Amino acid sequence: MQGTLDLLILTAIGDAEFHGLGISRRIEQITRGAFHVAPGSLFPALHRMQEAGWLSSQWGESENNRRAKFYRLTKPGKRQLETETGEWKKVVLAMANALKAT
Amino acid sequence: MKLRLRSALRNLLHKHEIEKDLDAEVRAFVNMVADEKIAAGLPQPEAQRRALAECGGIEPVKQSTRDGRPGIAFENVWQDLRLGIRHLRRNPIFAVATILMLGIGIGANTAIFTFVNSVLLRPLPYPDSNRLTTVLTELGNSSRAPASMFELYQMRQRSRQFDQIAGIWVTNRALPGKGDAEQGKAGVVTSNFLQLFCTHPMLGRFFGPEDDLENAPSTIILSHELWVRKFSADPRIIGTSVPFGRGSPMVIGVLPQNFRLIFADDASVPPNVDYFQSLPVGPWEPNGPGFLHLVGRLRSGGSLAAAQAELTTIARQINEIGARIKVANYHLVAFSLQDDDVREVRRTLYLLFGAVAFVLLIGCANVANLLLVRARQRLHETTIRAALGASTARLMQQILTETLVTVLLGGALALLLGWAALKAIVAVEPSSFANLGQVSLDLRVLAFTFAIALLTSGIVALAPISTVRHLKLAQDLKSSGRSTTRRQSKASTLLVATEVALAFVLLIGTGLLLRTFANILRVNPGFRAENVFTLRVSVPDRDTLRQVQRVLTALPGVQSVSTVSHLPLDDVGNWYDYYWKDGTPADQQNTVMADMRSVLPGYFDTIGAQLIQGRDFTESDDAAHRHVAVIDEILARQLWPGELALGKRINVSDSPKGPYQFERDWPVVVGIVRHVQCHTLTATVRPQIYLPYPLAPRPSMSMVIRAGAALPGLASSVRKQIAGLNRNVPITHLEPLSSVVERARAESRFVSLLATLLSIVALQLALGGIYGVLSYSVVLRTAEIGIRMAVGAQRTQIMRLVFAEGLLPVALGIAVGAILSAASMPLLDHLLFEIKPGSLQVYLLSIVSILLLSGIAMLVPALRAIRIDPLTALACE
Repeated sequence: MQGTLDLLILTAIGDAEFHGLGISRRIEQITRGAFHVAPGSLFPALHRMQEAGWLSSQWGESENNRRAKFYRLTKPGKRQLETETGEWKKVVLAMANALKAT
Repeated sequence: MKLRLRSALRNLLHKHEIEKDLDAEVRAFVNMVADEKIAAGLPQPEAQRRALAECGGIEPVKQSTRDGRPGIAFENVWQDLRLGIRHLRRNPIFAVATILMLGIGIGANTAIFTFVNSVLLRPLPYPDSNRLTTVLTELGNSSRAPASMFELYQMRQRSRQFDQIAGIWVTNRALPGKGDAEQGKAGVVTSNFLQLFCTHPMLGRFFGPEDDLENAPSTIILSHELWVRKFSADPRIIGTSVPFGRGSPMVIGVLPQNFRLIFADDASVPPNVDYFQSLPVGPWEPNGPGFLHLVGRLRSGGSLAAAQAELTTIARQINEIGARIKVANYHLVAFSLQDDDVREVRRTLYLLFGAVAFVLLIGCANVANLLLVRARQRLHETTIRAALGASTARLMQQILTETLVTVLLGGALALLLGWAALKAIVAVEPSSFANLGQVSLDLRVLAFTFAIALLTSGIVALAPISTVRHLKLAQDLKSSGRSTTRRQSKASTLLVATEVALAFVLLIGTGLLLRTFANILRVNPGFRAENVFTLRVSVPDRDTLRQVQRVLTALPGVQSVSTVSHLPLDDVGNWYDYYWKDGTPADQQNTVMADMRSVLPGYFDTIGAQLIQGRDFTESDDAAHRHVAVIDEILARQLWPGELALGKRINVSDSPKGPYQFERDWPVVVGIVRHVQCHTLTATVRPQIYLPYPLAPRPSMSMVIRAGAALPGLASSVRKQIAGLNRNVPITHLEPLSSVVERARAESRFVSLLATLLSIVALQLALGGIYGVLSYSVVLRTAEIGIRMAVGAQRTQIMRLVFAEGLLPVALGIAVGAILSAASMPLLDHLLFEIKPGSLQVYLLSIVSILLLSGIAMLVPALRAIRIDPLTALACE
């Protein structure tokens, strides 16, 4: 679903700082394995969100001493997370009501 | 938006860094996945391999990330452009071949479109030109006839749909003054004529109502060219009298430099008239001659249909007045001036346009074939690119861009070639085109060439794109791009068949046009032009004319000399009218129209016209003796079908009391001659009637001189003799009669020459296509042929194999081409002469020549095939 991946990435990063694989693993973790994001989708999304100004990135060292690029949320990114969360909740509520009604 | 633009710019400018960054990031990702797997106990190489597989490869991830970048479209195009140019430079023969083929194809289209644009699309260079119409009369045996002053007057009185109706008649006049005495064209016009074609004169004024008054002084308006040539561009000429025509008219105006009259060929109105003289419009006599070419301007907001309806009513009213034209089939018809001007050339131009479109299509098919072959050769590379993550859309885009590079280079060449072709065509100057307007390249032509180039790249890119659409990665990678599928060779066969079909249609058309030209060369125009020399003279009276005849006859080598008012094949300033026999009821009198020629005795012998019955004129045939006439066989048949015309009386309007003083008269027919072609070599427009010069004197005559052999010095001795006789006798147009005949053949020669050139190009392209496809096929089948030879196939069998493959598209092309030709050749009918569009002979000849030529094109690949050495062929595999 359009926007779902963005929301997942924003939520997964939260207030922390992750490299690509970290984000991928974090998403698996917080969705309890329901979503697995392949790099072919992850990197285009990360780069797009960075272009949009929601993410910032910098190079650093990973836990295994590998050079990796780390992403964190910018101020607009945090605002975007709030708006998208709010909208998602509305959608969930509406869908739940709709399903209950039938 | 601003943000995206900025990052697009950054992406373009810092491409190298960004690419390095992306590569490191993706690699880090894969390595970290591998690290996890090593930690889980897998050996290092296996961990690395699985990690890669899981991620879907490094390049595809990078590519999909790139695709999301702002500015990626520019970057791709830029990349493709560079790749395209690199490919072209790596394969210069391919590059030159495609660019040349497209350049020729598009260039031919540009050249012909320039004509279409200048002649058919651009409006005539006159104010309110879309409201200008010509008005013609139709009656008896003549359509498109000029009107009489009576008709013009009646139309003006009655019409509400036209706000102006004007008339012109162009005649030959002496032009005395500075320099050699010469003869020029004078336009006798109604006072409102020039305003319709020109907003204002360069100097002085136009004719006005005051020039129509009964006792108004005679006035003239000069062309810019005459004003410069005869009056040294002196502006003080306005208001002075000049010795032109009868009396000494006063010059009241000079026309602008670029003023030209653009009329249909058969209107007898040349583009450059030397001066204009006004002609008052009045009721005149109802029986007056029809001589005026009418131009009407529709009232503002009026329509041609409404005007035509009104003219139909007016024609009926004129008929009811019963005075002049009391015939059943009398009509007045109006055409848009522009449509009428181009009616003869429009179809020719569209046909040429169709022919060059065919050439371009053949070129396209050839280029498509070349691209197809190249795409197959590059299949391996393409497959690798696809495997590395290039999407189909991306590959297609690349092919399109590359094709576009080639085609645009071809288009640039096309503009050059088109421009050169244009110069060449204008230099040959087929008069029927040249009269119609300034032919030049303009923005519309550039836009057209560009549009055609774009369209062309779209068409030729289709073939290679189809190879990309059906990529089968694994299979194609294995075969290394050397195999060719059945579908692809079918595409090549179809392309070649298309080329052959189109070339065949052009060949048939050319064959018909060449046969027409040959027929025109052979046609008997009713006279023998060899060793006949002509010149035009303006003579004040009969005695001077006799003197001229006498001194010319005395020249050494000259056999006979005579004179005529209008040379054969010279239509400008024609003279024609209605003629009827004794006892014709009033309502039948205006049904037979004929061209009238005034001649001296000996004319028929001199030009080699054949006297069928009766006698030529003699010195005693003048006003004082019995009035006589000679008519041609056609007029004899029309007036006295099944009867003997000799000795019968015929009604004519002649002018024994001097020029322009007409009287009805009843001369007796004393001779019947063979018809002489007066307008073109092929069309018999009107029959002819000849009157002796004393009965119908004209101020301008043409001398005809027959010599025993070609006399090289004749022109100068003629000049010397006439100058010695009378300095004020202007002579012009000293030329052999054969030059006049040459000019009459010019259009047919031009059209058949152009068609020949086009079909040679088309044939070469098609043969090149056959050769190319077959050669490539032989290369691909080297192994197969090697095996065949190894197991004992004879050379003739191998030859047959190659020929069979080559003949299939040729046979298919001929079959389709024959059907196309049968459907389209009737469009050529108006250009043909004495040959049917469905001429079996032309079809057979075309089929045989295409088969022979394509056989030659197939010979080289076939010979190459039998020279294949089985051992090396198999070793190659």
